[in-house]
Amino acid sequence: MSFLWHELRLAVPMIVHGNPYLLSIIWFTVQVAGIATAAATAIGLPIGVALGLGRFRGRRVLIWLANAGLALPPVLVGLILFLLFVPQGPLGGLRLELTRQGVFVAQAVLALPFVAALSAAAIMGLPAGLLAQARAFGAGPVALAALAVREARIGVIAAVIAALATTLSEVGAILIVGGNVYGYDQTLASAALYEVDAASFADALAIGIVLVALIVVLLGGLSLLQERGGGIRWRFRPLS
Amino acid sequence: MSYLWEQLRAAVPLIWQGNGYIWGVTWVTIRVAAISTTCALVLGLPLGLGLGLGHFRGRRALQLLANASLALPPVLVGLFVLLLLLPPSLLGGLRIEFTLTGVYVAQTLLALPYVVALTPAALRALPPGLLDQARAFGAGRVAVALLALREARIGVLAAVIAALASTLSEVAAVIIVGANVENHDQTLASAIVSQLNDFDNIPYALAIGVILLTLILALIGALTAIQQRGRGFALRVPAR
Amino acid sequence: MAAGVGQLLLSCEGACVRRDGRLVVDGVDLELRRGEVVALLGPNGAGKSTLLDALVGGVAVGGGSVRRLGRVAIALQSPELARRSVLANVELALGWWGVRRSERRARALEALRLFGVDGLAARSAVGLSGGERRRVHLARALAVRPDVLLLDEPFAGLDAEARTALLQDSVAMLRSPGRATLVVVHDRAEAFALADRLVVMIAGRVVAGGPPRELLAAPPDLEVARFLGYDGELFGADGRLLLTRSANVILDPGGPLAARVARVVPLEDGVRLELEVSGDGWSGRVFAVSPLPAPGPGDEVRLRTENGVFLP
Repeated sequence: MSFLWHELRLAVPMIVHGNPYLLSIIWFTVQVAGIATAAATAIGLPIGVALGLGRFRGRRVLIWLANAGLALPPVLVGLILFLLFVPQGPLGGLRLELTRQGVFVAQAVLALPFVAALSAAAIMGLPAGLLAQARAFGAGPVALAALAVREARIGVIAAVIAALATTLSEVGAILIVGGNVYGYDQTLASAALYEVDAASFADALAIGIVLVALIVVLLGGLSLLQERGGGIRWRFRPLS
Repeated sequence: MSYLWEQLRAAVPLIWQGNGYIWGVTWVTIRVAAISTTCALVLGLPLGLGLGLGHFRGRRALQLLANASLALPPVLVGLFVLLLLLPPSLLGGLRIEFTLTGVYVAQTLLALPYVVALTPAALRALPPGLLDQARAFGAGRVAVALLALREARIGVLAAVIAALASTLSEVAAVIIVGANVENHDQTLASAIVSQLNDFDNIPYALAIGVILLTLILALIGALTAIQQRGRGFALRVPAR
Repeated sequence: MAAGVGQLLLSCEGACVRRDGRLVVDGVDLELRRGEVVALLGPNGAGKSTLLDALVGGVAVGGGSVRRLGRVAIALQSPELARRSVLANVELALGWWGVRRSERRARALEALRLFGVDGLAARSAVGLSGGERRRVHLARALAVRPDVLLLDEPFAGLDAEARTALLQDSVAMLRSPGRATLVVVHDRAEAFALADRLVVMIAGRVVAGGPPRELLAAPPDLEVARFLGYDGELFGADGRLLLTRSANVILDPGGPLAARVARVVPLEDGVRLELEVSGDGWSGRVFAVSPLPAPGPGDEVRLRTENGVFLP
């Protein structure tokens, strides 16, 4: 235990005194989490609503696809993006390989299925009569979407929580697409990996503690929001 | 695009003709997945049953804790396990740091939340009268637990498959605890990360990716098949 | 055509609706006129809800046509309310209907007042009792002031007291000179209380229609008569069939028919007797209600009938 204590005592001052390296990683992580989750929600929520409400051909296939996106390993997503961004690849011209922008894109792509599939599930769980009654009163697609999202807000927030959680803890895709470059595009999670690799356990501990704190604050805050909306529901994984 | 085709064409023979390195990685992955999931079941099922069937003070808090543990970042779990396994530390005497055995430990810890948190959910989906009726007929605690397990087997199976899928995709803990040593303790997912460090190895990464994708698809297919045959897991996306 | 009471607001000719290959609505003709309240009565699975769906335009008619003059609103069978305040629920519906924002609040409160639930305006719709829910659901449908109002079993799922109270309030509230109202009911008592006109639907077809009392006095055939509550049958020696209801069978020591009590079922205020008639040219089984003291099983009694229906 003395080993752990030793490393812990080295780690704490790094946090308390605001080590600049640590702060820059925190800032980047917050940016990635914020931007990726926001993008995933902006694109994924309309998709989820359409999947949840719509009656169009191919809807079941799309739902299956969204659920498959949940089960897809982040490493594979990272691999595909890597091949797309590589200079000789189809999107090579965008010069996204090994950049911060690439990390944003990768995390947004990873978070998207969470928002789309889970919010669709939440909306499909609404009592059918309510939406039918709204349609009968003449509610148009926009009004129906607003009603659905509002009624399913607990599940929708759970979807955003799940997306945020994955953004904070994901490592595989970031390593591949961003390259985990020191002082440039490391998130808390990937930096922890880096420091362990370099046998700087105290640094890794410090990063780990901050990551836990960040997760508790962000996810806890969202859960409180969810409770005010009427109840708590955490991430669940509908895998079919 | 031609660049991608080239890489793909280089990857195909690696899969078809069986490259020793790749098969080795696949075998390691299967062992890790099987052993960790089995251990997680042995340790976690009793806990999950107790949580799902019991009525004791603090049950809700424990359930919340179990749900929260699903959101635990694998990076942190890996870090934690490694710090315990390092020689100067508590379990250092076991000398399993940076070995496959250490990876087993870490992956078991990561699979555990799936069993402990999702089993109660499956149990709660059972018709409430069923277990009460059994108790009224004089069934003892073990008998009731076995009955519940049998009736909720589909939901529990779904939880197991979720655990397996995450074990296959997991990267951070494997890299930290095992050090991602080639031909020793690389899994399919962590091997992709390591191979992509070198442009010459892209075909290897692609081949490994295809195998990983196949395994995941097989898992999802199995889950879907089981759900179609049975009544369906309570948390799955209802396709209306 | 004058836009006054009696104007034809909705007409449906030979409407057919298929669900999963089955013909759920089979050639239905129906007319709704301004100012009237029509009750649609039928057993489960008769196709009533589907017909309403077709009338409001929610499902396409496979054969035949539906013509509407004016807007049609429907209150579906299940009173689903959004997880917001009662007032917000009604205002939402007004918004969907297209009513101007400035008018919504006043109309919502007015409609809620009609059913006595304006006091619940600020309450969340989530914790309402069954009766309160149904009232808000009805108020919402009335608030939009449609030309044709369709109500699908508005009293379903309520306990006896709540149902009676709501039924009494509805008798006055559902009638409006500017509107045609069609109410699907499950229960004859509700139909009688509310409607000018009754339409009986069985297995997707309209089998009878007309003012309730006329229909009761002269049902077109045996199936409709049974559905309308004629539970007793007497076969005459001359080949005639007499259908009776409990109200038509009276125990009378000097009566023309002899019967034996087969079964006795206790009621709150008396008993229901199952009587087997034989002799005097008539045989069959009828039911009667008698106050206590009443004859017991196996007893021989005499009875007479009043106002039963003869089916030629």
